[in-house]
Amino acid sequence: MIIYFLLSLAGAALALAARSKRFIALAGLFFFAVQFGLAGLLLGGGRTGETSALFFRFDESGLLFYCLLCVVGAFVFVHSKAYLKENPLKEYRLYFCLLMLLQTAIAGVYFSDNIAVTWIFLEATTLCAAGIIYHRRTAQTLEATWKYIFVCSTGIAMAYLGILLLCSVAEGGSLSYGALAERLRTGNPLYLKIAFLLILSGYSCKMEIFPLYTIGVDANFAAPSPASALISTGLVNAGFLAIFRVYRLMAETDIFGWVRSVLLIVGLLSLAIGALFLRRTNNYKRFLSYSTVENMGIVAIGLGIGGIGVWAALFHAVCHTLVKSSLFLQMAVVRQVYDGYRINRLGDYLSINKVGAVGLLLGTVVVLAFPPSPLFLSELMVFRGIFAAGKWWLALVMLLLLCIVVYSICARIIKLCYQPNQDELHPSRADRALSWSALALLIAAMVLGLWQPAPFRELITVIATL
Amino acid sequence: MILSLTILYVLTLIYLSITERFRNYASIIALQGWILLAVALLRLHALNWAELGFILAETLLFKGIIVPKILFAVIRRTKINRVRTSGSSQAHSLLLSLAALAASASVSYYVADPSVNMVFFGVALYSLLSGLILIVLRSRIFSHMVGFLVIENGVFLFSTAIGVEMPLLINTAILLDILISVLMLGMFLTKIDHEIHVDDADALTNVKD
Repeated sequence: MIIYFLLSLAGAALALAARSKRFIALAGLFFFAVQFGLAGLLLGGGRTGETSALFFRFDESGLLFYCLLCVVGAFVFVHSKAYLKENPLKEYRLYFCLLMLLQTAIAGVYFSDNIAVTWIFLEATTLCAAGIIYHRRTAQTLEATWKYIFVCSTGIAMAYLGILLLCSVAEGGSLSYGALAERLRTGNPLYLKIAFLLILSGYSCKMEIFPLYTIGVDANFAAPSPASALISTGLVNAGFLAIFRVYRLMAETDIFGWVRSVLLIVGLLSLAIGALFLRRTNNYKRFLSYSTVENMGIVAIGLGIGGIGVWAALFHAVCHTLVKSSLFLQMAVVRQVYDGYRINRLGDYLSINKVGAVGLLLGTVVVLAFPPSPLFLSELMVFRGIFAAGKWWLALVMLLLLCIVVYSICARIIKLCYQPNQDELHPSRADRALSWSALALLIAAMVLGLWQPAPFRELITVIATL
Repeated sequence: MILSLTILYVLTLIYLSITERFRNYASIIALQGWILLAVALLRLHALNWAELGFILAETLLFKGIIVPKILFAVIRRTKINRVRTSGSSQAHSLLLSLAALAASASVSYYVADPSVNMVFFGVALYSLLSGLILIVLRSRIFSHMVGFLVIENGVFLFSTAIGVEMPLLINTAILLDILISVLMLGMFLTKIDHEIHVDDADALTNVKD
């Protein structure tokens, strides 16, 4: 893991020191060779479960999300090159350096086997993401960056207080998840509850769920679209995994039922906020971000239901990564065409860029969980879990909220594709190759909806086993 | 001695809820830095000299000197001296702060578990709530910054309670604490004032739905 970090940092340093955009592409090539090299080594070498550099462990959950991160990261890199081609070299190289650092920090979160180290890497993602959000250097991006740093730091400080409390309940010793799980079994339930609440609230800024979800929405709005694809998937998964690991710790304690109830409430509130704000916003990037809040709400509900719901939550998070990154990358092409994201102004996209419009329409079908969407499977399983638990009220509220989501998303995307364009808009030509490449991610998600390879299913089953 | 220091720390938090002058805010943050230095010295003397030296140096230099200096520099530069009059009144703020103190004390007393230092946990919780109250009630960005520093100080105080058993926790927290605070204060000093104006948080409403 140390070698991985050193090589990744070297890639980022090369990008920062680059004298030409071509050299940055080479630095990117080196960086992704390192990323895919590690993924290949872990997948092919059978090193799952091994510990590295004291604080890291190549466990199944880390491996699964890391592979996704590599794929999404590579797409984001390629799209960013096209998206920022007009930028001056100084800003261009800083952006790519920060992008590589962000991806490295996210990988650190995925593989950390120590609750303090997870926290450190999550804090590191705040610093890298802040630089990316400020990329355009306008008053709006400055405001979003300030809010992001401020709220994330406050949230992370709260989470740290929770971690300290958890560690004092565990009465010293190692801070690895395995060792903590052993010692927390007999912990004082009230302290454990406070610790869980603090950690959940703190990390919610990364997972984009209630209560600190707003900051993720602002970050996605201000960051360049391809970077939003990474923030809204890779970084959100980092928050999810950090919470999931604490959830697994709590599974060993007496308060697990309470923890699940809290997650149900948080998930339902996130779903409600996502559904309501999808109707309200007038910006396509914020719109996609609220869709992330809504989907992460479903993931939290899955964890709250437990049993089959945990499997569904993990599967939902995996497929959401592919779908949402595809949609954000399609939105980057939309920005290329219209130079903006305002919902009430843009239209006629179908006649301007057929591939992109098909990608968006298909993405709408998939994100709304209509078959053959993989999200259909996960949501169906969540509902099965809810019915099995006899929580009919929850199913009813969820169905109502999902109806609002379906209406809002359909109305907005259909508007973009079919409504007549504004007279004063002068759309540019679209890069169809980028639309095709974004579509590839969506097709991968749809394949997962129709067919899940046995090793993939087993991997999720292993992770979901508490 | 430690108990007296923590009581003094609690008093600084109560004072923070009623004061309206930014100079007082900065002075209190400085005082808290010095209190934390004394607490760290008393609590962590069992650590090896290198770790103890690092923690004390960080607390003295960063929390006791540099951060207050930056806060005073911000006040001088922006010429803003008070919280906005349209914010909540001192009485409301004091009431809320005392309610937070009562809640923190009740939680600590109710659980009274030997594995957790009750006093430190209660004060840290009160510090967290005080910081959040400051952020929510006061409308100026400067107050928000102070609120964040109060939360950080509370977390640091609690980390000294278990620092001897787990020095890794306290060291890493300190390093990132420095990094984030310097970034935030630096950004506040160099960017926010130039482009947004630090007058009040109402200026930060362009990014919304």
